[in-house]
Amino acid sequence: MVTTSSQPTDAAEIASASAANNPNPIAKEDSMIEVDDVSFSYDMGKTNVLKNISFNIPAGKVTALIGPSGCGKSTLLRCLNRMNDLVDTSKVTTGQIRIMGQDINASDVDPIELRKQVGMVFQKYNPFPKSIYDNVAYGLRIQGIKNKSKLNEAVEKSLQRAALWSEVKDRLNSSALGLSGGQQQRLCIARTIAVNPRIVLMDEPCSALDPIATARIEELIAELQEEFTIVIVTHNMQQATRVSDRTAFFYLGELIEYNDTATIFANPSVRHTEDYVSGRFG
Amino acid sequence: MATHFKRKGKRVLGVGRQDAIRFFFGGNAMISTFVLGAICIFLAREAAMFFPQHQRELEVFRLTGQEYTNFVIEEMDEYTEVKSLTNQAFYQEMNEAYGIQRGLVDSFGALSGNLFDDGEDLIEELEDARDAVDDADEEEAKTLAQTELDGIQAKWDNFLQAELGKADRTAVDSFGRLGKKEWQELLDAMTAWDPVEDQPPALVEAAKSEMNKGMAAFDAARMLIGSAGSELSKLRGELIKVTTAIKDEAVADKSSAARKKALLEGSVNAATKEDRARLKEQAEKITIRKNFPYAERITALEGSREKHKAAIAALEADLKPGIAALPTDLASAQAQDLVSRIREKGPELIAYLDQSLQESADWRYDQPVSWITSVTSFFFGKDWVTNSSFHDFYGLLPLFTGSLLISIIALIVAIPFSLGAAIYVNRLAGPKQQNIIKPIIELIGAIPSVVLGFFGIIVLGEALREISQVPWLSWVPGFPMQERLNILNAGLLLALMAVPTIFTLCEDAINNVPSSFTEASLALGGSKLQTVMRVVVPTAVSGILAAILLGFGRVIGETMVVLLVAGNQIAIPDFGLGVGVITQPAHTMTGIIAQEMGEVTSGTIHYRALFSVGLVLFTISLLINISARRIIKRFGLAA
Ligand SMILES: Nc1ncnc2c1ncn2[C@@H]1O[C@H](COP(=O)(O)OP(=O)(O)O)[C@@H](O)[C@H]1O
Ligand SMILES: [Mg+2]
Repeated sequence: MVTTSSQPTDAAEIASASAANNPNPIAKEDSMIEVDDVSFSYDMGKTNVLKNISFNIPAGKVTALIGPSGCGKSTLLRCLNRMNDLVDTSKVTTGQIRIMGQDINASDVDPIELRKQVGMVFQKYNPFPKSIYDNVAYGLRIQGIKNKSKLNEAVEKSLQRAALWSEVKDRLNSSALGLSGGQQQRLCIARTIAVNPRIVLMDEPCSALDPIATARIEELIAELQEEFTIVIVTHNMQQATRVSDRTAFFYLGELIEYNDTATIFANPSVRHTEDYVSGRFG
Repeated sequence: MATHFKRKGKRVLGVGRQDAIRFFFGGNAMISTFVLGAICIFLAREAAMFFPQHQRELEVFRLTGQEYTNFVIEEMDEYTEVKSLTNQAFYQEMNEAYGIQRGLVDSFGALSGNLFDDGEDLIEELEDARDAVDDADEEEAKTLAQTELDGIQAKWDNFLQAELGKADRTAVDSFGRLGKKEWQELLDAMTAWDPVEDQPPALVEAAKSEMNKGMAAFDAARMLIGSAGSELSKLRGELIKVTTAIKDEAVADKSSAARKKALLEGSVNAATKEDRARLKEQAEKITIRKNFPYAERITALEGSREKHKAAIAALEADLKPGIAALPTDLASAQAQDLVSRIREKGPELIAYLDQSLQESADWRYDQPVSWITSVTSFFFGKDWVTNSSFHDFYGLLPLFTGSLLISIIALIVAIPFSLGAAIYVNRLAGPKQQNIIKPIIELIGAIPSVVLGFFGIIVLGEALREISQVPWLSWVPGFPMQERLNILNAGLLLALMAVPTIFTLCEDAINNVPSSFTEASLALGGSKLQTVMRVVVPTAVSGILAAILLGFGRVIGETMVVLLVAGNQIAIPDFGLGVGVITQPAHTMTGIIAQEMGEVTSGTIHYRALFSVGLVLFTISLLINISARRIIKRFGLAA
């Protein structure tokens, strides 16, 4: 079925084709995150890993980022909470990222304060080698909260919201590393939402889990979207259709198409998107 | 097709190159294992032979009554400590309360002494001239003698004037007790001093009587305490003499058979007839006994028990009122401190004396010595005394305490430095700083320990002492320091040696903390420092612990620095000083081996005692290494 002629080889070509038809732009007022012409480089601007990305992420919805491996999904996600600051030579070369209207790369923005509002769940579950309780309480403790009953309450609430409470309530003081993989990932979600962020970023949160554990996380995401704006990177097309409201397709560092998830999968306007979502490459 | 798979390369005696390389490295590994095994066996064998030998020595110690004598010696030692504290307190107080007076008396003594030395001839002339005047009967002779005397007197006056004029105040009053005014007054008074009569000036007399009067009560108490032990001291001397004689005889007796044999052989081979006869006669004089008659000899101690009891009673009878009579309101804070220490120690001493007397009363010369005593008196013995004319003691405790205290100080200092540097280099510093700091710290490990020791003696010791003498630091326990070479000094240098070890291993441990933990913490809004303190260090803690243990192994085995800098005093440091104990000198397990091993004859008990110390050290190092390995294995995550 695959013909070489139908495979666009140049991402820029594809992008220019798509730029014209963005049929469902999010109104500025409804968007939580505005990505405005962002280019990003890991080597002080020599080569750009992200190229002139522009799109708005709506509040209170789940937005999925999809695309073949290496296209820059994780990079974009880590731009949103400035985790890329850890790479000394990294740099946003053009454009702005605004969260709730505020340019997050402005000189007066403290990345620590930003990260309290923009939480992150990683690809490989990474609870601290501490007790379950201490893991969930960690974010609050580093904010200086010592009050025991306040912590207890927050820990219980977060574990409940992460649908983990009933499974661990009797062993809060045992090591988090004794939990199963899926439980550990849900614990990481509990840990993230314990500090009450506005946004939760998830980078392929199920890629290390079995199908049952994956299903539980997906359910959880559906519940959490009522309270949080969620941005999720996923490799799994079905997952994107199951959990997300909107989907952005990336290819070689460029945003190819962005639309309602249903539209992207049922009726993509760019040929390349169609090839990808139907599994013809990637 | 088989040729495709044939071995390539030349083969010598059927051994290919790969095999040769394998044999070479395998052989090296085998030799290392073998050498280690040999060392263990050798150490263990020599050390194992120590204990039976030690048991026999202790048997002799008991049979000869030296053990009984030792009760008295230790009682005397304890008492002497209180006595010397009293003397210290007395002189401290005297200097504080009557410093000027003492200055006047001492300075007068020094000045007149100088005058007697320098003006010896003149003083003699003066004396003779005066005698001449007194002896002259006739008027005429008297006037003649008088004019001569006047001349000499004038000469003396001039001499005295000149001498006083050039008197060096800092040399005469070397403790600086006199002010400018007092010094001048003393010089003025001295101008009228007559060397023949040698009467101190009124000024000095007054000072002396004032001082004596003021210190009279203290002095009386001091005298009482000081003389309390005179009977015990006498008994001690007697017992040492008697029991040492018994021991010498017993030791000689033991070798009698060998000596006799040697003499007889000599008598056969001697050149002249007389020699032969003489040697034979000598040989015959030696009687060989199967058993040395200890029971008979020990009767020399008869009556000692009664004397001992009486001496202790006399001591306590004087000590109690003596301590009670010590003045309470003292001008010198140091003296006050000392007196309160004496008051604490007094009842302790008396309790100790009573107990020791009781134990000595139960002592029997013919009680067998068990092997357990041989072992415990090595591991828990408080004395390490060798080449003594009385008895040699092989007690590990002073050496062990010294090694332990020095290592603990080294670790207390080294841990925060190494850990802090490791955290900084690994997590907070930029790559440029990393590239500077890391090699520098690792280079510290390349300094030869003898150089460090030299530095400790010349620079650090001097600096520490100067600092400790700063008046406003005198509240620090142990300050001012009496000794330049001490536990603190050695501990600080060893800390320097431990830093590279602990730093490198800590840095490894921290480096091994998975970055996913760090990222999780940062993503939750943690600062860099919070992340380090709450996630990185706790995660690396097993590796850090292993690093500290290995650092401990490094310092407890170090020899050169402690030998040069620790002060080498074989005694358990006085823990009565609290933390100040670290300003005292000490000896160590490594130091003693290095110092004494070269001088001992192999096979003697002293030689084997040193091996036993070596074995203890080896065991400690082994245990440390094994536990470090265990920790790393068990909590392997970050190490
Ligand atoms: N820390 C980094 N330093 C340099 N290059 C990086 C770094 N992380 C990712 N990259 C590069 O950036 C590109 C995008 O990577 P990434 O965002 O991880 O892709 P995705 O998550 O879509 O698979 C890749 O070419 C990758 O090699
Ligand atoms: Mg990725």
